[in-house]
Amino acid sequence: MLSPYRVLDLTRSRGHLCGQILADLGADVVQVEPPGGSPTRRRGPFVDDVPHVDRSLAWWSENRNKRGITLDLDDARGRELLHRLVDSADFLIESEAPGVQAARGLDYASLAAVNPRLVYVSITPFGQTGPKAAWADSDLVLLAAGGPLRLNGDADRAPLRLGVPQAYAHAAAEAAGAALVAHHERMRSGRGQHVDVSAQQAVTLATQSYLLSAAVGFPDARRIAGGAGIGPLSIRFVYPAADGYVSVTFLFGSSVGHFTRRLMHWIAEEGGCDAATRDKDWIGFLDRMFAGEESFTELFRTQELVADFTRTRTKAELLQAALERDLLIAPVATTREVVDNVQLAARDYWQTLAHPELDRAVRYPGPFARLSATPLRYRRRPPTVGEHNREIFGGELGLDDAELARLGAGGVI
Amino acid sequence: MPEAALADVKILDLMWAIAGPAATRMLADYGAVIVRVESPKHTDICRTIMPFHELPPESESAVLFHNMNAGKRMLTLDLGTPAGREVLLDLVRWADVVTEAYSAGTMQAMGLDYEALRAVNPSLIMLSTCLMGQTGPLARYAGFGNLAHSITGFGALCGWPDRAPAGPFGAYTDYIAPRFSAAVILAALDHRRRTGEGQFIDLAQAEASLHFLAPAILDYTVNGRIRSAHGNADDEAAPHGVYPAAGDDRWIAIAVHDDAQFAGLASVLGDEGLTRDPRFASGAARRANVAALDAAITAWTAVRDAHAAEAALQAAGVPAAVVAGSAELCADPQLIHREHVRRLAHPTYGTTPVENARSLLSRTPAVVAGDAPTLGRDNYEVLAAILGYDDDRISELVAAGALG
Repeated sequence: MLSPYRVLDLTRSRGHLCGQILADLGADVVQVEPPGGSPTRRRGPFVDDVPHVDRSLAWWSENRNKRGITLDLDDARGRELLHRLVDSADFLIESEAPGVQAARGLDYASLAAVNPRLVYVSITPFGQTGPKAAWADSDLVLLAAGGPLRLNGDADRAPLRLGVPQAYAHAAAEAAGAALVAHHERMRSGRGQHVDVSAQQAVTLATQSYLLSAAVGFPDARRIAGGAGIGPLSIRFVYPAADGYVSVTFLFGSSVGHFTRRLMHWIAEEGGCDAATRDKDWIGFLDRMFAGEESFTELFRTQELVADFTRTRTKAELLQAALERDLLIAPVATTREVVDNVQLAARDYWQTLAHPELDRAVRYPGPFARLSATPLRYRRRPPTVGEHNREIFGGELGLDDAELARLGAGGVI
Repeated sequence: MPEAALADVKILDLMWAIAGPAATRMLADYGAVIVRVESPKHTDICRTIMPFHELPPESESAVLFHNMNAGKRMLTLDLGTPAGREVLLDLVRWADVVTEAYSAGTMQAMGLDYEALRAVNPSLIMLSTCLMGQTGPLARYAGFGNLAHSITGFGALCGWPDRAPAGPFGAYTDYIAPRFSAAVILAALDHRRRTGEGQFIDLAQAEASLHFLAPAILDYTVNGRIRSAHGNADDEAAPHGVYPAAGDDRWIAIAVHDDAQFAGLASVLGDEGLTRDPRFASGAARRANVAALDAAITAWTAVRDAHAAEAALQAAGVPAAVVAGSAELCADPQLIHREHVRRLAHPTYGTTPVENARSLLSRTPAVVAGDAPTLGRDNYEVLAAILGYDDDRISELVAAGALG
């Protein structure tokens, strides 16, 4: 879909996902790494737990469908080669701390002078300017500074993050959309622009607008295990199953109350609650709480009653019942159960890419969308270090073998 | 001031809840003309989700709804009436893109699937997004993001090793999928501009969101390892955790990724000896002996104001941040610098707050336009100015109950 367009991806250790999304959409994405390879390649997990720059699963996760070259951007010859690549590029993505690219003469203003059509995307922790622009960051720190962390975890313990880093994935995916907004405009105006993405600001979407509570004088949400607390109200989503846990949307109101009603009918059929509980006004339950006609004690009692019921069923049984009876129940799936999911298998989701240098075929998460006219294709496994140096520096920029050897010996590529 | 980036993009938006409207909200920020259709009989669930302007809430009290739909034009339409469906088809003729987020099969049941809509607009792009996708045995599995994050494995990776899964908070995949939806719509528009060809896009929230778990997925498909929840521990950084600060439920997040950051931490703790202690001489050593470091950090943070601790650590180059709640986020100098919280005029409350776009474009910045998107606010404008209906036609529609 985006095959006419060239992306130079300078992201070093964070933000690779932006380029991968554009690559999955068909763009020709060239990942530019420092000589020796990106720092991401030194992050685990590794294939067979053997650390090596061409065995990093952190690297494989975000660099599929890209080509890869090495180039020392702190070297004048390296920057000269980059300028030549920028000349024909449509997008450039980078994730250096604010000011680093300007010191190299590779900031937006400098490269726009080379190519005024360039869409230049910067992904940083807090944005290019502002009081925190130079702050030290990490995934955990950005989740704290952007709001989601405080909402997550057990009430009696510290706030909690997810076990797989998320902040830069949010920022990078946000950046992919923003880059295409700028691209759309460029097709009318002929001019590029600078796109400044802040990871702190990107993760605020994961507060589900609770960020705005204080602006309307509403109580802040509280973290409770497997749910959310607001004022005295506790919304609980995670319930025990015989072989693990399930998530149950046990909520009320005109949109979801009928799911709760059907759940309570099932529980009653199986002897798990009495008719009076079954026949409560599950659509109007919250309104009745506000009116003082239902109590928190009663809410907690019914939540426990649901837990006592789900505890007697397996995750698979509960999912089957959800499908048959139109209930809002899902298994809390392990990674293995996700990979074995029948729906993903039926849709042929998982994609296998060959890694011949390791004599392996690897199953990857599949295309993020299905398009009727231009299906997303997995064309390339993530590149090995400098895999496309000859193809791009030689084939495209016309450097001869002697020049390539000289640049290699000089540590430029 | 140049024209808005997406000023020439017209979208008929049949989305509801969070994941769908969040995607079109992003496009609205950059000037796309979006007509959001809402059923007056089955209003958006976001109208019933906290936070609210007041309790008990009424239909325009929900901050989340306004935040997800700012900048869109709002039309009420009863698709159960023949007249309502006629209006919808006129909007399909007008639109470049139709987006919808009903359960799979709902549009077909209304006779409004892609083939039917393409019959009136041959170059139409249509994006359908639901939890598990439009096909397959779980296609019609209804649900919200809390179910999607559970079935896609996020929940099992968020918690303490000795406790039940703790999160993630809310409808987590609803905060991931919209980024992919916005990007694929824009790519499809580019393809159509070049070729004249529209298409149907099936975006399953689950399938898009799994890309945020790719390292864990690959660890299983390559190494056979099933990762489990491990609190705030990190594979590489140590110390790495959330530590109590002085006061009630006050916390600070601290992450140390390298020797320089560790030296900074030691200086802030006033214990330079830590950097000479062989137990903490490398990242691996710090991970092995992290309990002793956690205790030293906690002793220091627990008696300090969270913001003072944050300032001291950041001054020493240590990644650290107060675990911010709503009040701190609304007053955060960095978010204020980026004008993150905006206010729109609201007929009941004077103003309502919404969040800004999350990217700054240097030449065509986002503009959060218009008043609070209240139910049916733009009915006349959409019917008269966009569809060109005259007043008689509009009166007929009202009489026929097409607008609810």
